Amino acid sequence: MGGQKEGGGVKHDYLNTIVFILVLSLVFGGVLAGTNAWLRPRIVVNEQIAEKRAVLDAFGLDATGDAQAIAERFDSQIQTETQQDLAIYSWFDTNGSTKGYAVPFSGAGLWGTIRGYLAVSADLKTVLGLTFVEQNETPGLGGRIDEPAFKEQFRNLSIDLAQGFAYGDQLDAITGATSTSRAVLQILNGLLQQTLAEWEVA
Amino acid sequence: MAESWKQLVKRNLWTENQVVRQILGICSSLAVTNLMANSLVMGLGLTFVTALSGLTLSLLRNLIPRRIRMIVQTLVIAAYVILVDLIIKAALPDISKALGPYVALIITNCIIMGRAEAYAQKNPPVASMLDGFFAGIGYTLVLLLIALIREALGFGTIFGYNVNLLGLDTWTIMVMPPSAFFLIGILIWLVSNVQEKKKNPAGKPGPAKR
Repeated sequence: MGGQKEGGGVKHDYLNTIVFILVLSLVFGGVLAGTNAWLRPRIVVNEQIAEKRAVLDAFGLDATGDAQAIAERFDSQIQTETQQDLAIYSWFDTNGSTKGYAVPFSGAGLWGTIRGYLAVSADLKTVLGLTFVEQNETPGLGGRIDEPAFKEQFRNLSIDLAQGFAYGDQLDAITGATSTSRAVLQILNGLLQQTLAEWEVA
Repeated sequence: MAESWKQLVKRNLWTENQVVRQILGICSSLAVTNLMANSLVMGLGLTFVTALSGLTLSLLRNLIPRRIRMIVQTLVIAAYVILVDLIIKAALPDISKALGPYVALIITNCIIMGRAEAYAQKNPPVASMLDGFFAGIGYTLVLLLIALIREALGFGTIFGYNVNLLGLDTWTIMVMPPSAFFLIGILIWLVSNVQEKKKNPAGKPGPAKR
C-alpha cells in the first residue's frame, strides 16, 4: 500500500486498515452467524438422534435405520427417569416392568472428555452394553474404544459393584493405547463404585 | 495465467509437492496417516479450504493492507473451516463424528497459509483457486500413499477391508506416529533423488541450484 506517500500520510493509512478489517470481520462473521442460525436446528436434531441411537445400542436394541425409525423405537420402549439426581434412561418391556437402565458417564480420557452410556440390568448385576457418544482419543489407537471389538466385550459381563472391572481375564485393553484403556476403566469403575453402589433397587 | 494448466498441476503434484518438496503440513501427515479413510477426509477438507481461501484472498489482494495481511488470511481461512465444520455436522453427522477434532485442525495446516502468502496474494483469482486445489490434491496423494503402507502393515487392512489374508503379525509401530517419520523421510529422499537425476542426467547429484 502506498498510503504513506499520499496527502493523508500515516494516519490515513491506519484508518484504511481499521475500516478494512472491521468490514471484513463483519462480513465473514455475518456469513458464519447466518449459516449457524440456518443449520443449527438440523444439527440439534442430528445430535438428539445420535444420543437415542447410542442409548438403544447400549441396551443391545436395534439402532439402525433412519431418524424416524430410531425415534419411534426409542419412544416406545425407553423413558427418562431421575435416580439420585442423575438423569438416566429406563428400558421397559411390553408389560411395563423395567428391564434395565442406561446410565450416562463422562470423564477425562487421554486428550479430551469421554462421554457415553453404560446399560445395566434392572438388578444391577449384569452389563447390557456400553456405548460412547463423545471421545477425542487418538484415531487408530485410543479411538478404537469406539469399535465393536472393544465395546462388545462388556455385553453380559457380570458386575461386582465394589470391585469394578479389570483388564486381564475379564477384558482386553487396546494395544498401544494404555492411557486411554486405563482412563475408560477408571471412569466406568467410578460410576459403579460411587454412583450405582448408592442406588436402592428392589 | 502465467503458467499453463499442465505446468500448474505438475508443479503442485510433483516438482513442488507441499509435503515431500516444501516440507509443509508435516504435523498432520504424521498424525492422521494410520488410516486411509481419515487421510482421505483430511486431504479433501484441506483441498476445499485451500482452494476457497486462495480464491477469496486473491479477489481481495489489491484491497488488503500489507501490514495486516496475515491477520486477514487467518480470518478468511478460519471462516471457511468453521463453515465446512457446520455443513458436515448438519449434512453428514456420521462422518463428522468420525472426524472429531480433525476438522478444526485444518486451520493450523501451514499449507493453506503458505499458498495464500506465496501465490494468492500476487495471482488472479481463478489461478489461485486452482493452485490451492492442486496443492491440496498433492498433499492428499502423499497422505494416502503413506496411509496405505501404515494401515496395511499396522492393521492388515486397507480402507477397513481386511488384506491380511495370510494372518501375518501386524506391526504396532506402524500404527504409531514415529513410523510416519521414517516413511516420510524415505519418501522425501526418493522423490528428491528422482527429481535431481532428471535435472542432471549425468548421474552426479550435484549441489541443488537455488
